[in-house]
Amino acid sequence: MKKILNIWGPIWYGLPKYNLKMKLTTLFLIITFFRIEANTYSQNTKISLDLDAVHVIDVLEEIEALSEFKVLANENLLDKHRLVSAHYKEKRIDRILRDLFSGTQVTFTVVGKQIVLRKKEEKDNPGIKVIPSAPIRAPMLQQKIGGTITDDQGTPLAGVNILKEGTLIGTQSDFDGQYLILATKGDRLTFSYLGMLSKTITVGDSDTIDVVMLEDSAKLDEVVLVGFGTQKKSSVVGAVETISPSELRVTSSNLTTALAGRVSGLISYQRSGEPGADNAEFFVRGVTSFGYKKDPLILIDGVELTLDDLSRLQTDDIASFSILKDATATAIYGARGANGIILVTTKSGVTGKVKISVRFENSFSSPTRKVDFADPITYMQLHNEAVRTRNPIGPLPYSESKIANTMAGLNPNVYPAINWQEELFQDFTNNQKMNLNLSGGGSAVRYYLASSYGVDNGLLKVDKRNNFNNNIKLKRLTLRSNINIDLTKTTEAIVRFNGTFDDYIGPIDGGAEIYKKALRTNPVLYPKYYEPDEANASTGHILFGNSAGSSSTGARYLNPYADLVKGYRENSKTLLLSQVEIKQNFDMITQGLKARILMNTTRASDFDVIRQYNPYFYEIGRYDKDTDTYTLNSLNEETGTEYLDFNENTPNISTSFYLEGAIDYSRTFNEKHEVTGLVVYTKRSSLRNNTGSFQKSLPYRNLGVSSRLSYGYDSKYFGEFNFGYNGSERFSNNNRFGFFPSAGLSWAVSEESFFEPLLSVVSRLKLRASYGIVGNDAIGDQDDRFFYLSQVNLDDDGRGYRFGKNFDYYRRGVSIGRYANDRITWERAYKSNLGLEINFLNDRVKVLADVFREKRDNILMNRAFIPPSIGLESDVRANVGEAQSEGIDFSIDYNNSFNKDLWLSGRVNFTYARGEFKVFEEPNYVDAPWRSHPGQAINQQYGLIAERLFVDEEEVANSPQQFGIYGAGDIKYHDLNGDGLIDDNDKAPIGFPTTPEIVYGFGFSMGYKNFDLSGFFQGSARSSFWVDPYATAPFIDNRDAGYENVIDSNALLQIYADSHWSEANQDVYALWPRLSTTVNENNSQTSTWFMRNGAFLRFKEVELGFSFPDSLIDKWHLTKFRMYLTGTNLLSISKFKLWDPEMGGNGLGYPVQRVFNFGMQITL
Amino acid sequence: MGLFASCDNYLDVVPDNVATIDNAFTDEVQARKYLFTCYSYLPNVSGVGWVPGWYTGDEFWPNSEVYNWLQNPSNIARNAQNANEPLLNFYEGRGGGSDLFQGIRVCNTFISRVDNVPGLDNVEKIKWKAEAKFLKAYYHYYLTKMYGPIPLITENIDVSATPDEVRLPRASFDECINFIVDLLDEAAEGLPTTILNELDELGRITKSIALAVKADVLLTAASPLFNGNPDYSTFNNIDGTPFFGPYDKEKWKRAADAGLEAIEEAEAAGAVLYEFSDLVVTNPSAETVRKLTLRGRVTDPWNKEIVWGSSQNDDRQYDSQANFVTAGETVTGQWMAPTYRIVEQYYTNHGVPIEEDIAWADRDPLAFRTAQASHSLDIQEGAEIPQIHFDREPRFYADLGFDRGTWYGQGKLDENDQHIVKAKRGETSGKKTISKFSITGYFPKKLVNYENAFGTSNSYSSKRYSFPYIRLAELYLNYAEALNEYSGPSAEVYSYIDKIRERAGLEGVVQSWGNYTNNPGKPTNVDGLRDIIQKERLIELSFENHRYWDLRRWKLLQDHMNGPIQGWNIDSDQNDGYYNLITFFNQKFTMRNYLWPIRSEVLLLNPNLVQNPGW
Repeated sequence: MKKILNIWGPIWYGLPKYNLKMKLTTLFLIITFFRIEANTYSQNTKISLDLDAVHVIDVLEEIEALSEFKVLANENLLDKHRLVSAHYKEKRIDRILRDLFSGTQVTFTVVGKQIVLRKKEEKDNPGIKVIPSAPIRAPMLQQKIGGTITDDQGTPLAGVNILKEGTLIGTQSDFDGQYLILATKGDRLTFSYLGMLSKTITVGDSDTIDVVMLEDSAKLDEVVLVGFGTQKKSSVVGAVETISPSELRVTSSNLTTALAGRVSGLISYQRSGEPGADNAEFFVRGVTSFGYKKDPLILIDGVELTLDDLSRLQTDDIASFSILKDATATAIYGARGANGIILVTTKSGVTGKVKISVRFENSFSSPTRKVDFADPITYMQLHNEAVRTRNPIGPLPYSESKIANTMAGLNPNVYPAINWQEELFQDFTNNQKMNLNLSGGGSAVRYYLASSYGVDNGLLKVDKRNNFNNNIKLKRLTLRSNINIDLTKTTEAIVRFNGTFDDYIGPIDGGAEIYKKALRTNPVLYPKYYEPDEANASTGHILFGNSAGSSSTGARYLNPYADLVKGYRENSKTLLLSQVEIKQNFDMITQGLKARILMNTTRASDFDVIRQYNPYFYEIGRYDKDTDTYTLNSLNEETGTEYLDFNENTPNISTSFYLEGAIDYSRTFNEKHEVTGLVVYTKRSSLRNNTGSFQKSLPYRNLGVSSRLSYGYDSKYFGEFNFGYNGSERFSNNNRFGFFPSAGLSWAVSEESFFEPLLSVVSRLKLRASYGIVGNDAIGDQDDRFFYLSQVNLDDDGRGYRFGKNFDYYRRGVSIGRYANDRITWERAYKSNLGLEINFLNDRVKVLADVFREKRDNILMNRAFIPPSIGLESDVRANVGEAQSEGIDFSIDYNNSFNKDLWLSGRVNFTYARGEFKVFEEPNYVDAPWRSHPGQAINQQYGLIAERLFVDEEEVANSPQQFGIYGAGDIKYHDLNGDGLIDDNDKAPIGFPTTPEIVYGFGFSMGYKNFDLSGFFQGSARSSFWVDPYATAPFIDNRDAGYENVIDSNALLQIYADSHWSEANQDVYALWPRLSTTVNENNSQTSTWFMRNGAFLRFKEVELGFSFPDSLIDKWHLTKFRMYLTGTNLLSISKFKLWDPEMGGNGLGYPVQRVFNFGMQITL
Repeated sequence: MGLFASCDNYLDVVPDNVATIDNAFTDEVQARKYLFTCYSYLPNVSGVGWVPGWYTGDEFWPNSEVYNWLQNPSNIARNAQNANEPLLNFYEGRGGGSDLFQGIRVCNTFISRVDNVPGLDNVEKIKWKAEAKFLKAYYHYYLTKMYGPIPLITENIDVSATPDEVRLPRASFDECINFIVDLLDEAAEGLPTTILNELDELGRITKSIALAVKADVLLTAASPLFNGNPDYSTFNNIDGTPFFGPYDKEKWKRAADAGLEAIEEAEAAGAVLYEFSDLVVTNPSAETVRKLTLRGRVTDPWNKEIVWGSSQNDDRQYDSQANFVTAGETVTGQWMAPTYRIVEQYYTNHGVPIEEDIAWADRDPLAFRTAQASHSLDIQEGAEIPQIHFDREPRFYADLGFDRGTWYGQGKLDENDQHIVKAKRGETSGKKTISKFSITGYFPKKLVNYENAFGTSNSYSSKRYSFPYIRLAELYLNYAEALNEYSGPSAEVYSYIDKIRERAGLEGVVQSWGNYTNNPGKPTNVDGLRDIIQKERLIELSFENHRYWDLRRWKLLQDHMNGPIQGWNIDSDQNDGYYNLITFFNQKFTMRNYLWPIRSEVLLLNPNLVQNPGW
């Protein structure tokens, strides 16, 4: 019997127990989610009962047992002692229930498979509560008005409240959606139903008024996730943006890529498409700091996690997603909230029979744009040109005969012409993803179990000759279990367990690195492997191609193919979160008082094992053209191996513990005074291994208490006060704790009586204002902790020295990494925000707009007056920087159902945020005022103004001195200060900042019958990027990490081959300056030469879906079956054509992917 | 918020006993590490890519492959020095340079704290402190040498000092020199005469070193670049006072006195000119022993001539060694390539310059000549090579490897069966790979210990040596130069030059010029003798990181760093083709290059600082 009792548990995590209205709101939120697939159930299900003299509860239980209906009711509602009989044959549920509760105080609603029982008087809308003592006017010329109320699907709606406006007279529709009311012509009848748009209709001559009610998506959002809790949307004072999880569905397995343009207030971009490294970076309202942490704090189920963790979250598991933007919303996080907050909660179980939902997706991805490279012959010719144009006597890398023979296509082992990219990569790859979730629950326990399994396949080509399959296979498994348990009537325990497990097998370097290597490998020196010569006819190993090059021994060049097949890496990563939350309702002490406590521990670990052999490399010894035979010379007989060796790394492990305790009070007095109060205590500690330094090895900790107090009057005026008082271990005793208050007011103008005439046009209008102080303790550098302590390395190899007759008396030395400064403390952000919420045309169009300004001070920066002659070993820093940002963000939503077959919604988002330096310590640039930072955007680049390329040596000789060695065909810069010297003083702010100042998006969704179609565009503007003169410089031997000991050679972009300065074609406006085999210091200066506009508009996503009609899915015993086709990154519009502009300067990196995805979703 | 009073401990995650700078002075072991830290800023005399000298002038030239990592010095030779991001910036530790002001701060810290190290023996205390003082002086000197006047850091300025306190102006040049000399004198008092514990401490500073450096400092201060240089007569400090005074002859006197003092101290400590003594082959000819002596003066570890040897890691043997592995291999680096003008500079076998030797009046140095059996100790018999390789002084054959020249040692200890350098394209020591080759066709044999050996499996093992910062020969030349400048030619001046010439198998200056040149009276006047001393110095100290510094000090760089850098056409495998001089680069020198530029940004940081002329 317990099963149906006491089921008013919060169905949603984090939802505090407010009054019944709140509960119902929550409930209907859930129900509305199901309603489409469930509507037909109640219509079609027939029940037979044969019970005599049983308790009402027994009847209900029998119904539950016989059908899929679930009953939701308050325990106290039912008269436990009432005995009833029930004899029905094949009757619809509404009929049975009507009989069962006729003459009682209980009313019911059936939505889908949910039966909701309520007390009759306690209506949803306080306005229709019948107060017996109120005077009822005598009816005049009244007539009976009746009709049917349905939703847009034609399903009758039971329990719709019908109220004669201006009176307390009302009624409810019955289960068939029928109603009857006495009214006079001219009376206005208001039809209201939770989750639906209210309708007001004036009584005319007809006595029949049929009403179609439409879903109100605004009401769906009635509960908004805010810091440490939830609030009713109508009473939110802060700038909080919520986004429905369905908006966040993306084809890539990375959630962060979905945010740009979908949420107003976020500035976001994605630079790489490399799996595992394709996180989009994002900033709430742009960047206002020049410290290290500029991105928002991410909290998932209350626990601080990383961007990586967010990126891996399954959209299907998300219950709600909020972005907190202004001071009122963030101050409660005190010293951690200044950069904005992202709050996510995951789903909880709902009482009822198990509901199973399965989603399967298969996607094909390929680069959005293929970069063109020059063919091998051009490569050789221009490589020769690059040598000779700089050094007329320089040795040519390729002889004429080599070029001629390669061109003639002689033996490809001897005269290889390799397109490494094509040799190593497929054009596309496909990935699979499966999600499965189960939810349901009984009277005491509810569960949400979810798992997802994804397989990302690399796009590496596999060769049958290989010893093993080296293609990447990344298997990702996530498990989530959220269990809610009612311990007592007033106590609830929630246990959440979440595990993310990655298993990777793939090339030792990983796919992206192989990609990089392919673009750095000389295409004509050697093939990926040689066909055996006579001497090696029976050699057991692969004869990998290479060359001794500059060294006389050993293989010195890159062979990405050998790197690919020489072995494999296994990597295993685990992230585990275990969480327990206890909630206690203290209504027995005073109504509306609750408390909760949450404990979480997070454990993360990963480790690597590498198994590999050392490839045998060969180069061509002799080649006999006549017989077309060659001999091979081994380059590393001594070190090559045919057997596998292995290598293990120390695993990385981190643990963290989080505790949160809260007392929460919420009550409405005299119908008008809504009061809430919240006090939260939090503490957090985390620890990592492999930190590499003593100071980093110490625990990371935070401690704080926060509070929110709010008052609302008559749903019109709201005031809120928040503060966070918290501290972190990073600072000295004196500066450890900070107090961060904020206050906000809002006014729901449309609730005022004077607004009434406007309601037909403007259905809602609300104004908000807030101001407050929020902190950022993540200052300086991530590794910089304990500024109040000096950092001394007493065992520094870099400062050691050696003495002794045999040069063997060596001792390490001492170095100082930081001088102590106990005055260093957090940044402070003074945020002000003005907001406007306005809905038009019966809430069909909704506009949300905010303007904001933020002043940030106490930004940590280097002191700029300390000359090198003082001899300090590290920079001296202080909280002296100041910055300011301002901007606007808005969203416009449109929702309309034209008829029961056609609906359309659209959304536009726009964010403009510009942050600039206010106080920036820098030298006094008297002679070059343009170098100064204050007033400039925070990510503003400074660089030289390129005029064109030098015409000839004479011009070089007669121009101001520039950088390094340069001559005709190299970039000529503008001497801004006219001092005859090109130097830092000629560097001015150029272009837009590197972070876009504008990010926007717009999209639509529409449905027609069983089809749905949605499309989404995303764009950014006001940003610049610089084509990387190192990464794209052809023929360069890179010296970056991993490439120190090999000779590599950057690929030659076709566009550079076509347009560069050469003696033969002295184009002073060519795209690339005079060729060189080394990085030319002059040409690699940051300048306008390589500056490009980063603005773009991208057709980000389009999705076409088909839901099987009810008739079919019923037959299949399903509740939903939808198939869909999605395309991501289909098209982008930008002035920049070489590669995807979102990748920024290095087009030779792993490309952003275009994805085609097929998916299906089945709900049982 | 009483809650937090107790919870504050929660945030106190830092345990006691976190390392601070105090821990560096808790005992002898720790303090020694800090002393070594003071040493760690020493510019490495043989660090060819990280100190001025080797590749900043005209002595060596890199091939294009090694140019990549020799860019900082090489670009100075290519006149690409700049104030925007100066190359080899020792003022700040950028552009490949060591951060000497940081080194000074470290020394100051050590000097102020070493007295309080518990348990440190008093004798050691005095010695260590003196070493730190020496290093402090040396770092000031190195900066002064590069930049001219610099701010003097007598004591450390606190980290929390105000802008006014930290913005030090430059001192005048004489103030700098006096400060350095005083500090060196102070240091000398506490320094040991010799190193007793050679096993652990060879390489540490002795009194001889301090006095030798002092002689060097004063010689530099007296030299034309800094002493009455008209180019700097209007070079004034921020307050208008001149950085340099007028020419002062007495500076030469000071230099000479210090020079003599240094020689006396060094000789008292046992320094003598090196003579080879090990008998490695039976009955070696005197000529071979002579060459071994000359090679050993640098490469015999810790030999008695070395007053101050570097105990740091880099010698350049691998890079200087001509390759003698015959197969397709090039085992050694081979890229240390002396330029042709160094080849020209060595004396003839008469101990005088080619252009002054009467015997060479009609000879064409580039004309081919066939080596006879009588040349076979130096040149392969029958080889047909340019005349310039014949009839040269012993130092020429001891210091240089060249095509068809002999190369004693490296496993071949029979003087009648020496290695022969074969340097044409594709030959043993020629260009076989794209980076391991000498771009000029010459090899600095002087820098290679004769005992180094090629292994059987294409390996090369070298016997490490103490690269000389200062050796006795330099002290002799310092003294001779200063004395000649102050009091003109004298028997004493001659005697110090002749000691070096005698060891090199040459007759005395007076005799040589008298007998073999068209200018027999040259050694008898100040100018003539100056010329002779300078050339002697350039030859004797070649390939030891002196040439660039000396030419600079004499203000002669504009004469030498303006013109072609040449070598043989090593891309040819034919005699005719190979022996054509190829110009790798045409140097242009601008006068501003004498003093290093201070990075322009530093001048913005410190408005009291004045930039060097021309930058």
